[in-house]
Amino acid sequence: MSLVVDHLHKRFGSVVALDGLTFEVAPGQVFGFLGANGAGKTTTMRITLGVLEADGGAVTWQGTESHRLPRSTFGYLPEERGLYPRMRVLDQLRFFAGLHGVPPDRARREALAWLRRFRAEDLANRRAEQLSKGNQQKIQFIAAVLHEPPVLLMDEPFTGLDPVNVMLLREAFLELRDRGRTVVFSTHQMEVAEALCESVAIVDRGRMVVGGPLRDVRRSTGRRMVRISVAGDHRLPWLAAVPGAMVIQAGMDRSTIELEPGLEPDAVLAAAVTSGARVLHFEVADPSLEQVFIDHVGRPADEEVHLLPVAEGAA
Amino acid sequence: MITAHARRNVWLVARREFAERTKARAFVFSTLLLAGLAVVVALIPLGVRLADKATILRVAVTSTEPGLAATAIGTMDGFLNAQTSSGTGGSKVFDFVPYPDETTAAQSVRDGKLVAAMSIDRGADGGLGFTVFNIGALGSDKAQLLQVGAFAVGVLDWTRSNPGATRPFVTPSFSVVDAGSSAGNAGQPAFDAADYASRRIVGIVFVVLSFLTLVFYGLWVASGVVAEKSSRVMEMLISAATASQLVVGKIVGIGLAGLSQVTLVLIPAVLTMLLSGRIGDALLGPDAGTGATLSALSPGLLVAFMVYFVLGFGLYAALYAGAGSLLSREEDLQTVALPLSIPAVAGYFPAVLALSGSTSGVIRIASYIPLWSPFVMMSRLAVGKVEPWELALSIGLLVVTVPLVTLLAIRVYRAGVVMYGQPPSPRTFWRAIRGG
Repeated sequence: MSLVVDHLHKRFGSVVALDGLTFEVAPGQVFGFLGANGAGKTTTMRITLGVLEADGGAVTWQGTESHRLPRSTFGYLPEERGLYPRMRVLDQLRFFAGLHGVPPDRARREALAWLRRFRAEDLANRRAEQLSKGNQQKIQFIAAVLHEPPVLLMDEPFTGLDPVNVMLLREAFLELRDRGRTVVFSTHQMEVAEALCESVAIVDRGRMVVGGPLRDVRRSTGRRMVRISVAGDHRLPWLAAVPGAMVIQAGMDRSTIELEPGLEPDAVLAAAVTSGARVLHFEVADPSLEQVFIDHVGRPADEEVHLLPVAEGAA
Repeated sequence: MITAHARRNVWLVARREFAERTKARAFVFSTLLLAGLAVVVALIPLGVRLADKATILRVAVTSTEPGLAATAIGTMDGFLNAQTSSGTGGSKVFDFVPYPDETTAAQSVRDGKLVAAMSIDRGADGGLGFTVFNIGALGSDKAQLLQVGAFAVGVLDWTRSNPGATRPFVTPSFSVVDAGSSAGNAGQPAFDAADYASRRIVGIVFVVLSFLTLVFYGLWVASGVVAEKSSRVMEMLISAATASQLVVGKIVGIGLAGLSQVTLVLIPAVLTMLLSGRIGDALLGPDAGTGATLSALSPGLLVAFMVYFVLGFGLYAALYAGAGSLLSREEDLQTVALPLSIPAVAGYFPAVLALSGSTSGVIRIASYIPLWSPFVMMSRLAVGKVEPWELALSIGLLVVTVPLVTLLAIRVYRAGVVMYGQPPSPRTFWRAIRGG
């Protein structure tokens, strides 16, 4: 029994936000919902929450239409962050947990436990307006999970967090998954999705482009890659001797080379060794999610992220 | 169907709103300011009483017996005006004017040229009879003074008309009658002037209070909704509670905060009114007439005010909540605050007109219309010319309208809170209502 998004349609005036979007999330999974701004991620989440009505199609959880389920079925971290500016952190957390039916004393206990694990106990009695954006985001995350919802919907949860907090949040995601929660999060940061998700869906303009287990999605383009790291000359001059091999991402440390169909990875390694280059690292890899996204959608999920050196995903 | 869960959420939202409002510095300041203002208004009757001391009342005197009127004027002028001057420093109370006949004098009273007309005739037993015509402008304290004057006239007349004292002294008869108004509502019980003044003061207080509080607290609701939208906490709220829980909770919470403020403002004002009666008595001497300062502030009127405040607030708050949900930024609130207050202002004018005691068709109808009845009916109740069925109709219409408008507001709110950026226009409103 899973979370099923079934042929969702939604228009805002003349703008088509969702155009028959369909995918399925298995329970107990961490699911990445990937797309550029305007792809329809937030609209899908709002329809799932029952805040918006779909023009057509439905979202069901364990066979029941989501808007008929109690609101506490879902924990929601909206993309637009916001808390009551003048309310104290602990009061806000108890308020939101209370709306979901958590008794005040339990809400307080759980809230303090979460604050501790996010290394933020000292924030409990601060007003929200005194917090940094990253800290506000952590508080909102806690507000979304305090009532232990079976399904978590997180809209761009990693945006705006520093690396330490990204790590803390990733750990929390995995722990929630281990406790049997279904975690759906949207992002345009492909490397985060690669690191966390068992399954992903790539959406563009309200339509599903490709989806399924991460491995299948990465292989969906049919492209093959090798990653290589050599001592000394990182420009790889010897590669010119290998027809059908092309550097698609040059790096000082490690470069990614795409292989045309028919060309075996060994040929690249052989050429490197023959040229006398000292190979420090060599791996046969699937294309990065970033690459898959660009192949399918025709542009990167986020132009800015694309122009920056992309962090390596573990193969 | 209202579940326990929904009730709890309404209560949670209401409690949060109440705490946020009452803890705000603006609440403390506005409460102090309004309480001060209410105390000043409560002191008005005392001021009126002071001013009243300096007022000269014109009274016509007519008699069927030639010369009697002139003699009476001489007696009463010397007696009454001298009497009172001994107390408070020589101000003249009555100005007695001879009139040729009772009919013209009574007409002048009806036209408002005179406060009262005194007609004197002699009975078969030789005793004098005094009849005072008025239309409510003569206070009971002043009527008592006239009776004292009449007695003096009677005594002097007795000693003068039969020097031998062959005829026994007959106490002059004295009666105050309603001259009827030119509008033709003679026969209705005329208010005592002091009582009427008190009713108008109480009426003004209630009309101004209703108007200010409904518009003011209505704006609290709108600004609360806009603040939640602009701070984006709305996204979390709407995923945790339903639109109806949020709207009703907000209205209840802010309503209770408003009611607390009204109570905090009214208590010192009522105490001042009660005390000012005492202060007045101490300063100006006991005064039978103006003891009625608070007479118009009956428990029934207070109950009516509470009923109209609660229902009226429900109505205005729902409208303001719906309107607020269509705005994205707090700056936008300023542009819609004025148009939003137009319905209230439109009801304020008939309410003020009704204070004069007028019961024209427009005022009657305005006192049934839900948006206006909280002001207009309060005003009519204060001056006291309302049929029971009118009250029932007016409250009944409010009771029916409030839930309907609230449901409509929830519909607008549900659509409005997830809309950002669109400028508020009638079209947006219509789309929100239609689209649900």
